[in-house]
Amino acid sequence: MSVFSDIVFGGLFQGSLYAMMAVGLALVWTTIGVFNFSHGVFMMLGAYFAWQLVAFGLPVVIAFPLAVIVMAGAGWILQASVVRPLIGRPNIVLVVVITTLAAGSLIENGALTVWGPRSKQLPSLIEGNTTIAGVGVSLHQIAIIVITPLILAALWSFLNRTRLGLALRAVAQNEDASQLVGLNVTALYGLAFAIAASLAGLAGIFMGGYRFMNPSMGADPLLKALIVVVFGGISSISGPIFAAYLIGFFEAASNYYFGLYWTPALLFLVLIGTLMVRPEGIFAGRSRGLA
Amino acid sequence: MSENPILSVEAVTSGYGRVTVLHDITLEAGRFGNVGLFGPNGHGKTTLLRTISGLVAPKSGRVAFDGKDITGLSARAIVATGLIHVPQGNKLFPDLTIGDCMALGAYSPRARPHEAENREKVVKLFPKLAERWRQRVRTLSGGERQMVSIGTALMSHPRLLILDEPTLGLAPKIKDELCAAVMDISKGGVPLVVVEQDIEFLLELSRQLFLVDHGAVKTEIRPGESLEHSEIMAMYFGH
Repeated sequence: MSVFSDIVFGGLFQGSLYAMMAVGLALVWTTIGVFNFSHGVFMMLGAYFAWQLVAFGLPVVIAFPLAVIVMAGAGWILQASVVRPLIGRPNIVLVVVITTLAAGSLIENGALTVWGPRSKQLPSLIEGNTTIAGVGVSLHQIAIIVITPLILAALWSFLNRTRLGLALRAVAQNEDASQLVGLNVTALYGLAFAIAASLAGLAGIFMGGYRFMNPSMGADPLLKALIVVVFGGISSISGPIFAAYLIGFFEAASNYYFGLYWTPALLFLVLIGTLMVRPEGIFAGRSRGLA
Repeated sequence: MSENPILSVEAVTSGYGRVTVLHDITLEAGRFGNVGLFGPNGHGKTTLLRTISGLVAPKSGRVAFDGKDITGLSARAIVATGLIHVPQGNKLFPDLTIGDCMALGAYSPRARPHEAENREKVVKLFPKLAERWRQRVRTLSGGERQMVSIGTALMSHPRLLILDEPTLGLAPKIKDELCAAVMDISKGGVPLVVVEQDIEFLLELSRQLFLVDHGAVKTEIRPGESLEHSEIMAMYFGH
């Protein structure tokens, strides 16, 4: 029983973090059609902003949301500086890989200069531990497991129930037609990046609360998020969400039965196997578009 | 009809990148009623419409809508003036429902207050759309998608409607249905600028015709100068 709940709990927890990261990546891909390789750096930056605000003496309830908002601005700025000027170029996908990688590297080293290499830690969302179904867990992790689906549900209803969300879904499908109904395409692109950066920043804050932070902390989550979106399909935001939890459970099970060192290799094996059968991802629809 | 042209294009040169498609094109439209544009494919009709609606910025020249200079404005700003362009083809928003498309049509602040009233108009014009309100555009037939395109444009509360080959590639029965709907829109008081290959339809609909050839207006036909089909065919093909 304890093994089972261990795996379920670990899967939910990892899945939450992966989902938070992957959704932003998918959002940017579906609306703009580019992969944002500075997404991991957004995560790191969110954690460091939050740490800095806490260091300034702000209480956590103010510092964390403020850091998330600041990240929205950072996402917007990054979009305006290294993505927007390239829109309309035929080789945009490849060029943006380079520009976002470059921007990510600059930001990462900037963080290293500003905050130094020494590891830092954020306060937990909720202090303390508890035991559920025979597994000892921290309340911080419980909070993440509960908050993440709420935020993802809020994002889903924003995209599907509001006029602005409708506009974001539309611009993902047809840019010309979007302009002809009067949508502000550049602002919507900025918005997609802003939302993605905030979610990544929040994931960073979550992570900083139970693991040590350093300027390169975003690299591994970025890789995982890439696996998730490739695995789940990048044509929607629900695909990556399901895939994130699936991979979370897979990792938790594999960690338990095969050990930490085999897990990445097994993960890639499953990924390659999946892509051979369903190259568009397991939850993918036929086209690019948010749903 | 009004004394002044509702749409005027003065010496516009436009194109994509280094390719120039329109060479110094000039036309005044809407002084007499609906306007038809025709001419061989690949000679700039679509580029002209894209330039008017702001999807392509002109390299030189001036475009004015209802006396107001709209040259170089963004497509969004032009939509806000009430000049609405229904592009060629029916790609639209494949994964949105018809209802979503109609809501998007009414996105601009100018159109929003009229959303309910325009929706009623669209449903009356295309009852088929009401039956499939929650269906995704990709699952519709070509004719139905064209109806969604035109319906979306009507939701934008147009003061001038530009249609780029509304009946392209449609079966005859659907085509007649759409032609009738376009005539209805015109009777409802919205002036039209239409690009169309079906000359019969164009002659019936428009009072002023322009033959666009090699990126310029080759011939203008005004009311009273009514033409036979054969003469237009001669213009088309006989150089």
